[in-house]
Amino acid sequence: MRATSAHRAVAGTAAAVAAFVGLSAVTATPAFAATSDVAVVHGIPDTPVDVYVNGERTLENFQPGDVAGPLALEEGSYDLALTRPGEPVEDAILTADDAAVPGGANISIVAHLDADGAPTITPFANDVSATDAGQARLIVRHTAAAPGVDVRAGGEPVFSNLTNPNEESADLPAGAVTADVVLTGTDTVVLGPTELNLNEGTATIVYAIGSASDETLDIVAQTVSGLHSAPDGVPSGTGGLADTGSNTGWYLAALTGVLLLVVGGGLLAARNRVATRR
Amino acid sequence: MTVDRTTAPAATVAGAVAGTGVGISAGTRALVMALVVAFVAGCGTGSESVGADQVRRLASPSPSAAAPAATVPVRPGALPGPAAVLAPTRLAIPAIDVVARVAPVGVVADTGEFDVPPSVDEVGWYRFGPGLEAEAGSVVIAGHVDGAGQGPGAFFRLRELAADDRIEVVAGDQVREFRVVGREEYDKSEIPLARYFARDGAVRLTLITCGGPFDETAGRYRDNIVVTAVPT
Repeated sequence: MRATSAHRAVAGTAAAVAAFVGLSAVTATPAFAATSDVAVVHGIPDTPVDVYVNGERTLENFQPGDVAGPLALEEGSYDLALTRPGEPVEDAILTADDAAVPGGANISIVAHLDADGAPTITPFANDVSATDAGQARLIVRHTAAAPGVDVRAGGEPVFSNLTNPNEESADLPAGAVTADVVLTGTDTVVLGPTELNLNEGTATIVYAIGSASDETLDIVAQTVSGLHSAPDGVPSGTGGLADTGSNTGWYLAALTGVLLLVVGGGLLAARNRVATRR
Repeated sequence: MTVDRTTAPAATVAGAVAGTGVGISAGTRALVMALVVAFVAGCGTGSESVGADQVRRLASPSPSAAAPAATVPVRPGALPGPAAVLAPTRLAIPAIDVVARVAPVGVVADTGEFDVPPSVDEVGWYRFGPGLEAEAGSVVIAGHVDGAGQGPGAFFRLRELAADDRIEVVAGDQVREFRVVGREEYDKSEIPLARYFARDGAVRLTLITCGGPFDETAGRYRDNIVVTAVPT
């Protein structure tokens, strides 16, 4: 920014204050920096559960197809347990001990069926890095008891041979797109077609859940927003009519001065002429 | 600041004129000074930044009111709907005689730049950011200062806006009035665009156009002029 030295000094002070405040905020709450956002996704059909984290009941009567969170969990390892609603944690139907939660991450913990139809828990780290202006992130996770699949958007293959429990991710132009899921290498549609609204600056995470053999295949979606970036520039003039060229002021001022000198000189000459005539 | 560049040389010229004016009456000398001063003042109009600090404060995210939630929020994992934003359709700035149509625009795929409407009479609202319904963040409208072969654009006089000038933005049958709080000029290579395209912080209207010296060869201006306004 072009600023006078006075403005520059003020800006410098403001920056120093901001840096100090930022620093004290961090030192005052050291745990905050090591906290992760954790969402819990339920992808096991027909099985409502209670969710226990380190022996504490955290979610009650959590329904298939629902997404809970985000929970702010400090970095560390956690014991997770799922029970039938109201049953004691000792009778858990599914557990994951010592699940590691790193600091400063965005994580989805998914209860789902493995490729063979057995309940399991899989953690995924969510890519929440910034998206370019105009873009949206689509992440698809295969968490269903089903063979490998291809994902198509607008009729074009986006991801191919996605298998349980893996994911694929792509940044695409924001907007609505019609998507479907087919068995890998075939045109056999197993999910969709459905309208996907890829909102700019968000990650849309789509989970394929359920079981192909039980005909319970379905999708669950989770969104993470705030990934947007600003455009790279705002080009908004090509005519030059508003030119304030750094030198224009000089030239005009100098021209004004010269004109005034000429006028002044003329006046002087005229006066001298008058004097001579006398 | 442009004023700095013009003030110094102009003052020198004024001094030189006054100094060489031997024999010129005091009245003429005063007239010369007055003319030069008036000229310099005229030159500076519109190029100076105002309200930059306030604009910066508006961009700071408000402190999060969310204490650690007692219960964990649970939502159905439905697919997201389309973003519900109220698209501005018309913009009026009485102080500079502007009434312009507003088109929803995004970015140019090749360049990642704001897709300013090609017609200089039309301005573009950044459709990925907040709309007129905004309760937070920056509603951005950009327009051409001028266009080669088209003459002055809707935002030709944007840099004349001053504090408290009114801006009216219309979306269908809804109107929202704003009040200018800041006008800044940045070299395009240094403009903090993230601040002006933020979706958090106080609700504000951000108007952007071009300004500063014009590069004839490249056909582009060096600077961006940014006007910030807050709801009245």
